[in-house]
Amino acid sequence: METVLSIIKILFFPGLLFLLVAAMLAEYIDRKACAHMQNRIGPPWYQPLADVLKLLGKKTIIPKNAGKALFRALPSVSFAAVATAFLSIPVWGSHAVVEFEGDIVVILYLLTIPTVCLFLAGWDSHDVYASMGSFRTLTQMFAYEVPLFMVLLTPALIAGTWSVSGILLYYSENPLYTLINIPAFIIALIISQGKLERPPFDAPEAETEIVGGALVEYSGRYLAIFRMAADSELIVVVSLLAALFLPFITGIAWIDFILYIVKILALILILAVLKASMARIRMDQMLHFCWWVLTPIAAVEIIVILIVNGGIAL
Amino acid sequence: MKAEETILRLKEAFPDIGDDLKSPSPLRVFTPFLEPKRFEEVLIYAKDKLNYYRGLHIVGTDEGENLGFTYLVSNADGVILAIREIVPKSNPHIRSMSDIYPAMLMHERELVDLFGAEIEGLPEGPSYPLPDGWPKGQYPMRKEWNPKYFNKMTMTYEPPEEKATDTATAANDNKDNAAKTAADEKSTAGGGASK
Amino acid sequence: MSEGLTIPIGPQHPSLKEPVSFLITLDGEVVKKAVIELGYNHRGLEKACESRTYIQDLYIIERVCGICSHAHSYAYCRCVEELAGLQTPRRAEYIRGIVGELERLHSHLLWLGVAGHEIGFDTLFMYTWRDRERVLDLLAEIGGNRVNYGINTIGGVRRDLDENICQHILDVMDGLEEQIKYYAELANTEATLIARLAGIGILTRDDVIKYGAVGPVARAAGIMDDVRIVEPYGVFTEIKVNGVTDDHADVYGRTVVRIKEMLESIRLIRLMVKEMPDGPISVRAPRRIPTGEIIIRVEAPRGEDVHYLRSNGTDKPDRVRVRAPSEANWHGMKHMLEGFHFADVPIIIAAIDPCYSCTDRAIMLRSDKGDTVTDWESLRRTGIERYKKMGIDPSKIRMRTSGV
Repeated sequence: METVLSIIKILFFPGLLFLLVAAMLAEYIDRKACAHMQNRIGPPWYQPLADVLKLLGKKTIIPKNAGKALFRALPSVSFAAVATAFLSIPVWGSHAVVEFEGDIVVILYLLTIPTVCLFLAGWDSHDVYASMGSFRTLTQMFAYEVPLFMVLLTPALIAGTWSVSGILLYYSENPLYTLINIPAFIIALIISQGKLERPPFDAPEAETEIVGGALVEYSGRYLAIFRMAADSELIVVVSLLAALFLPFITGIAWIDFILYIVKILALILILAVLKASMARIRMDQMLHFCWWVLTPIAAVEIIVILIVNGGIAL
Repeated sequence: MKAEETILRLKEAFPDIGDDLKSPSPLRVFTPFLEPKRFEEVLIYAKDKLNYYRGLHIVGTDEGENLGFTYLVSNADGVILAIREIVPKSNPHIRSMSDIYPAMLMHERELVDLFGAEIEGLPEGPSYPLPDGWPKGQYPMRKEWNPKYFNKMTMTYEPPEEKATDTATAANDNKDNAAKTAADEKSTAGGGASK
Repeated sequence: MSEGLTIPIGPQHPSLKEPVSFLITLDGEVVKKAVIELGYNHRGLEKACESRTYIQDLYIIERVCGICSHAHSYAYCRCVEELAGLQTPRRAEYIRGIVGELERLHSHLLWLGVAGHEIGFDTLFMYTWRDRERVLDLLAEIGGNRVNYGINTIGGVRRDLDENICQHILDVMDGLEEQIKYYAELANTEATLIARLAGIGILTRDDVIKYGAVGPVARAAGIMDDVRIVEPYGVFTEIKVNGVTDDHADVYGRTVVRIKEMLESIRLIRLMVKEMPDGPISVRAPRRIPTGEIIIRVEAPRGEDVHYLRSNGTDKPDRVRVRAPSEANWHGMKHMLEGFHFADVPIIIAAIDPCYSCTDRAIMLRSDKGDTVTDWESLRRTGIERYKKMGIDPSKIRMRTSGV
């Protein structure tokens, strides 16, 4: 019985199926919100699903000199990593499907896999635009990883646990400590745009320069899976931010679930505002921004936390 | 430097062409058609001494047996000086002025493609503006070239016959053609052609 | 990558609206070498003009460019009028002036949107193009069409402006002024916008002189080359234009110049509408134009538009030559691109507001099936029938008529 329940949890709710539905709705809300900010009407609610179904029905073309197996495997690997990461984030109530001490590190590790997959996809396509895109993807990863990891680990430092559910529980008991994390939260919001390769950090897929970047040669169902992975990544990242920086829960599972939906909706809308209100910044500007602005702030944040932590421990 | 001063200075430097300088409106100066060597001297003089620093444009014209190239340059006061040269169609050999006026480069390439000018000293680079498969030796802006005989599908130019070309065109548009030929002769003569 | 990666931009590329080819050799992300290949849009217009009458040519010349169609037809008309010794009525010159400035507004708004899109700022793109629609609606109301308005004819203009249209123009100007002031503020404050535009695509004063750049590119480097000021023509002999220059010499400078020029255009339009004299709008033009040759300059939205015309006493021109402003700005492009980042290539290209049709000029107006003239109503009927066959009934869609 336990096994069956776990399988249901992993496959349907709050696992894979929920993630897919949430990803599509997130994409819809993101696009619709952006469209409204840009004086457009925007797509109907079923547009993300329609896009995926259309892509699934399209012919798949694989470049002649691409490694066929790798080319086919990458989208699935990318999506699998994202879906796995989602299992360790609490959605229903305060407990995740899979939780253990140190799962936040595993989530961060799993979240780098889509980026690496994107790099490999571009590299394997043997196309100038795709190569440029994959170089930029990799460069961007080096730019955002350090500040992103630093700010995501700050809540863990205070909570004294390396489990997302543990952090959530700790802060729900000591809600005032979340105030210390506000600078980290702001950095995390900005940097997650880079992680998700969304404007203003979408240089790796800038269509006016490199025609869409690493995924230029992808088509049909492989592209559909890559897109699902990207949408799911958005959900995973905002869920993680919600769990780490907005840890307000009541203890009643269904109310917590509604709270969770409200939190991720708010985060998606904030990300949409960031997306609509800025120009795409260049690769060198991105590096400069991450290393000279965000990383020092994150470092100061960590030092402050360590001092505060020392105070708590005393 | 206004147009009158330009004319005075040019008259001083090149007495032989001085009388043929025309200024139809306050900001325009036209020189007569010059042979290539003389043309080059005038152009360099205009750039170095008269400070006509901006290369504006080149107008290629069909002058019957000859080809005329009018280089338009302008100065800080907005005067446009048109310096013209003339070469026979049989040997349309001129020297590139793109080292003096870099802005003339593209227009000179256009002369090569459209008028069949042979330009010495033109830097390497893509041709402009005709497509890659354009037949060699076909210069569409010359008057005798008639788009009627150009097959866009095969990219070949097939006039009916050497002699028939004239009669066909003449029959087609008798009056106009006659007038045009007359005008061609007139402008060639009136422009003070070299040779 | 030390040997350099060569990336083709074009002939088909998302950042290019028309075909042109760039071969960009990169050293890392920096452009080491740029090879520009033009000519994909050569249509043989100049040749086509030689075998048609002056009035037919007017419609060919209007189609040299889809954006600055008025500037080209204006320049051509002035060539013919001066050769024929025609004195155009003052009211006609005012109407030409108003349409010309409206064209400048719509062209600069279009440019601002394209620039926003090239640097990934789509919100700006959507905003400016929404505002541009209002100008296009005005132009459609004046001339009957959104882009090739067909307002010019040899000897004057074809359509008069009545009280209602004048009032409508003034109303739209009020709304637009507010929006354009907002864009000016945006250009001054939005950090990412400035970060992407400032310091790239530099063409200094000396380079402008060397490469013969015109229009906003020259004015951004501090060179006042506005033909409306250098050699006033038409309505601008009566109404003085306040020229706009800037000293940034980069893409940001060109943006600022264009935004300020839009505000100046609005001022001019208001003044012209207010001071427009009564009278006829055209004079009769002869069919045959006396022998002569002429060079005419007109300030198009993108810069100085030079037309050369030679007549031979018949009803057809002997030679028509067009130097569109984009053509002059291409020469400095290589210099502007090299040394900057690859990411800046699209915006640097866009910053001269290139118009490839203008550059290459030249529609082989040929129909193998023979020409048929279709009026608007029957075209609409044909369209509706075609779609009915496909199972869609568009007949309920209301047709937009002028004056709405």
